[in-house]
Amino acid sequence: MMKRIALFVALIAAVGCQREPAQPTGSGAPAGGAYRLPAEPADVHEVIAAREQAVDGEPIVVVGRIGGSANPWVDEAAAFSIVDCSLLACSDREGDDCPVPWDYCCESDLPSATLLVQVVDDEGRMVPTDARELLAVKELQTVVVQGVARRDEANNLTVEATGVFVRP
Amino acid sequence: MVRFRLLPWHYAVRNLFRRPARTLLTLGALTTVVVLILVVVAFVHGLERSLAVSGEPDAAVVFSLGMGENLEYSAVDAATRGIVAANVAGIRSRWGVDYVSPELYLGTNIELEYRDEPALGLVRGVTAAALLVRRNVQLQHGRWPEAGEAIVGQLAAAKLGLPPGRIRVGDVVRFEGRSWRISGVFSAAGGVFDSEIWCRLDELQQAMKRQDLSLLAVTLVDRSRFAELDLFCKQRLDLNLQAMRETEYFANLGRHYRPVRMMAWVVVGLVATAGVVAGLNTMYGAVLGRTGELATLQTIGFARRAVAVSLLQEGVLLAAAASLIAAVFAVAAVDQMPVRCTMGAFALRIDGGTLLVGCSVGWLLGVVGTLPPAMRALRTPLVEALRSG
Repeated sequence: MMKRIALFVALIAAVGCQREPAQPTGSGAPAGGAYRLPAEPADVHEVIAAREQAVDGEPIVVVGRIGGSANPWVDEAAAFSIVDCSLLACSDREGDDCPVPWDYCCESDLPSATLLVQVVDDEGRMVPTDARELLAVKELQTVVVQGVARRDEANNLTVEATGVFVRP
Repeated sequence: MVRFRLLPWHYAVRNLFRRPARTLLTLGALTTVVVLILVVVAFVHGLERSLAVSGEPDAAVVFSLGMGENLEYSAVDAATRGIVAANVAGIRSRWGVDYVSPELYLGTNIELEYRDEPALGLVRGVTAAALLVRRNVQLQHGRWPEAGEAIVGQLAAAKLGLPPGRIRVGDVVRFEGRSWRISGVFSAAGGVFDSEIWCRLDELQQAMKRQDLSLLAVTLVDRSRFAELDLFCKQRLDLNLQAMRETEYFANLGRHYRPVRMMAWVVVGLVATAGVVAGLNTMYGAVLGRTGELATLQTIGFARRAVAVSLLQEGVLLAAAASLIAAVFAVAAVDQMPVRCTMGAFALRIDGGTLLVGCSVGWLLGVVGTLPPAMRALRTPLVEALRSG
């Protein structure tokens, strides 16, 4: 009787252990693949330069590292902040073991080197999916964003992105 | 199913009264151990609850970018209040009044007329909109402050190192170079606001010679609308803002106290271990002195297991009595006792979970403290045990 119980438990364990967790694909979710660019676009601008030169409504390509605050993402929306590559994240500084290195807390003029990226669909509406899930990206990754520049009344720059290339 | 004859229940009870001094000492030791465990667990539960009830699920705070949870160092332009209210559609509004509370928050020295030394207290400058957003806050005594007045939370006295409720309506406190008459006492359901002093925002700004704010607290239409506020803050980089759900803000504060909570559980473990050692010491002495008696019981037909169960009954009965006494004492004397900490003050909580942990440990001590000596005594050969008796 005990042997049968042990065999039963072993069978259950074997079946359970063989179920592998779903592996995330390297190119993001199937829907996100539509927004991932296969190659880096040309005419790339740094964030600081883009903030100075971008014209409202004109196409633009910007490169930056994902970050700029403790939470650079927007819940349930394909939007995130990127920071100019010239700035150093906390993890880029020797001996800094900051638990949230992408907040760039050691940089003094962060707002002037940051912009918001919103991934939009064909109709110009922001995709209602978390960018991490949509594009399979994470903090401090360097991304090249291709889209349209938008200026608000305070001259803040937002890029409505139609494609994102993730630098390796 | 038990297949052997057990010793009568009253045999275990009578044995406890055969040596009253030893029984009382063991009872006292176990009660002390359980009380200590209850106090430590109440500390952890009180701290966790204080943070858990402070945040509303549909509320968010907006403060300076890069400040982390250090709202005291946050500086937000006063005009931001109107800009946020006008541009974020997800903020709740009722009869034309937006649920946006501009606040100025700081830790400062508080002087009291009946105390020589100032104490570090927490002050928050608010408007009436604070009552829209901080829905847990209710005035218990007095009224909303007018010019030159302030209201205190029910744990503000504890935060300042005074007996609970010491600061009353009519008392005068002094901070930021001004005197403030206490016009009311409020409660915040045991949250962090209970340890604060609230005054009018405009008066605090005048006293501090500041025009800016520390934060905006907003109530959203529902928690799913947070993304709109977050997006606005990330778009308007000129305002230098960040938004955070209030529940997340207090959860982050709670993480800073994780080492304290872990240390508390270590103390629980150490105290429980001390209780086990004390129990073992006592029971070894009690059982080894009854070797002959236990052997006689076996001789007249009771199985070793029955004798062991009887010894276990004694230990568990003693531990259960100790747990009961400790629980009654804790509920009567410890529950709601205020405790000071850096973030304010909170009350110890002897709730159901606390009692369950404390009493369970007490019962466990009874079992663990009795079994080893019982097993040792019963392993002694019968003839040898009879001779020693």
